[in-house]
Amino acid sequence: MEGTKNIIKKELTRVFTDKKLIVSLFILPGVLIMVMYSIMGSLISNLQEDIETHTPIICIKNAPEDLMNFIEANKYEADITYLSSTDTVDDIKEKILKGDTDLLVVFEEGFMDTIQNYSKIGDPIPEVKTFYNPSEDYSGAARSNFIAEVLNPYQQSLLAQRLDNIELLQVFYIDLDPEASIILDEDKAGGKFFAMLLPFLINIMLFQGAMGLGVDTITGEKERGTIASMLLSPIKRSQIVFGKLISLGILTALSSVIYTVSVVIGIKNLSGGDTDQMMAIKFTPVEIIQLFVIIIAMVYLYVAMVALVAVYARTQKEASTYVTPLYILVMLGSIMTMFSSGGGDKGLEYYAIPIYNGSVTIQNLLVGELTMAQFGVTLGSLALIAILLTTLITKAFNSERVMFNA
Amino acid sequence: MIQINELTKIYKLTKKQMMEHKTKKNMMKAVDNISLTAKPGEIYGLLGPNGAGKTTALRCISTLLKPTEGEIKVCGYDTVKDSENVRKKIGFLTNEIKLDPQFSPRYMFDFFGKLRGLDEETIKQRREKLFAYFGINGFEDKKINELSSGMKQKASIAVSLIHDPEVIIFDEPTTGLDIVTARSVTDYLKLMKDQGKTVIISTHIMTEAEKLCDKIGIIIKGQLTLEGSLEEILTETNTKDLEDAFFELYKQHNKEEA
Repeated sequence: MEGTKNIIKKELTRVFTDKKLIVSLFILPGVLIMVMYSIMGSLISNLQEDIETHTPIICIKNAPEDLMNFIEANKYEADITYLSSTDTVDDIKEKILKGDTDLLVVFEEGFMDTIQNYSKIGDPIPEVKTFYNPSEDYSGAARSNFIAEVLNPYQQSLLAQRLDNIELLQVFYIDLDPEASIILDEDKAGGKFFAMLLPFLINIMLFQGAMGLGVDTITGEKERGTIASMLLSPIKRSQIVFGKLISLGILTALSSVIYTVSVVIGIKNLSGGDTDQMMAIKFTPVEIIQLFVIIIAMVYLYVAMVALVAVYARTQKEASTYVTPLYILVMLGSIMTMFSSGGGDKGLEYYAIPIYNGSVTIQNLLVGELTMAQFGVTLGSLALIAILLTTLITKAFNSERVMFNA
Repeated sequence: MIQINELTKIYKLTKKQMMEHKTKKNMMKAVDNISLTAKPGEIYGLLGPNGAGKTTALRCISTLLKPTEGEIKVCGYDTVKDSENVRKKIGFLTNEIKLDPQFSPRYMFDFFGKLRGLDEETIKQRREKLFAYFGINGFEDKKINELSSGMKQKASIAVSLIHDPEVIIFDEPTTGLDIVTARSVTDYLKLMKDQGKTVIISTHIMTEAEKLCDKIGIIIKGQLTLEGSLEEILTETNTKDLEDAFFELYKQHNKEEA
């Protein structure tokens, strides 16, 4: 193993003594991820703030006489134009389409009379029509606010007038105190959002790290003719392979830690500093060990996948082309977990599918539902495929056709 | 001691390579039934034009390639069955094998020393000796990608000799070197020979072969057409110098083929 140790040391020295490589591998992607999420966060909150502070522009046709008073009494703020029954609404609809007006509300002719004349089943019930543009944020918000703050309370007040005792309509209440109704496992709930997002992110980040580094240290070295000098050393080829894979694994793990931290900081900015959910994720010591072991196994798997492709490729360009389908495969495996609520209900055989199993295991860990059997099957499957890939890579290192194009 | 016994090396060609070589055959015989022996205390020179099969033969000796037929023994070890032991015994230098440009000659020297299982003290002693001999001290801490091709070649030579190998295999060792450095390399090879080491080199420089080699093997199109000391070759071909001898053989070979 002395050979492996020396190669690991050399590979790490190579990266850490090259300032350009440190910047391009670790610092730049980290900063970019952070900036990207922060910008996204501030844009989203700006948008929300903008909608909230916007005074809706509303036109109301045939408004009942007491509506204006009702609106004022309820302190509903809007720029309202009242139209009479002779006014046309076509130009207002055009303005709504263009986004210049947010909402048009049309009360039926003789609205109040129809209501007051109601006495038995089958009598006419008047209609209030709203016109809005769902593709305009202001317009959508104006409609829902107007319904919630004006029309619904107004209807209630009219009902109260009609029935005297509005409680007649209320047979029973549902949850007078909704807060008290929630019975929640905070750990699980906290983990839920991140259980959806994190396995995907971890998978992608791990593979990205392996991809950039693996192609350079294997195909790059082959191309530069520097790997052959190592092949001349009196050590087993498997020692060289392990040296390469482990050093790649260390660097990949490091880069993915940096990327993940950047994403977390970015998300913190995105959610306006609200990371309570993330803080709510709690692990038992066993779970921490499980997470650690699974991530190590996945790092090795990805590094080995990239290395296998990289060793067969003749040029770095060729290697990058070959790696892309693998990247898509990894994305697919991890996206599958994004749209399911954990694999708790799935059969054990699902945990034998490489890539997917790593992702779903992390997901189950985050919501505290991972069983030992699931963990075992995942680890076994990852280990098996890692052994297979390592054997294939060693074989490639022993092949003169692969190494020297001979 | 290097013993090559009926070595044949056939490359399978890809379609692209077939086009490059302008051939319709998907096989290419790079080395064709070569047998030779290089003894300790002797410099053996493989002489031949580009593409004759010199580099392939040397790569087979150094375990990087496996013979298609025949066998090679280095210090009694088979290059296929016992490749690790062969690699312990040899120092191999070829143009296509390079040192990592990101590191300094000093780092590379120490790295390969450790990879060969040498202790710190031995590495230090060998480094001082070889760096002084080849004049590497002036640039030992510069990155290899900042060095001239001559400096790189010197560093590669020093690294290949780090473990004081019993058998030295140099593929065109003076290519790209200025006349002074080239002389220091050939002088070093003579020194190694005097120390009783087995040296085998490939070259297409006639004067180098004349001055340096105790035994010369002329390779044309993968075949060893003639082998012997300079005198033996000149007598056999009835010529005055090696260049004439080589062309005589080249003509004969082409006539036979035609």
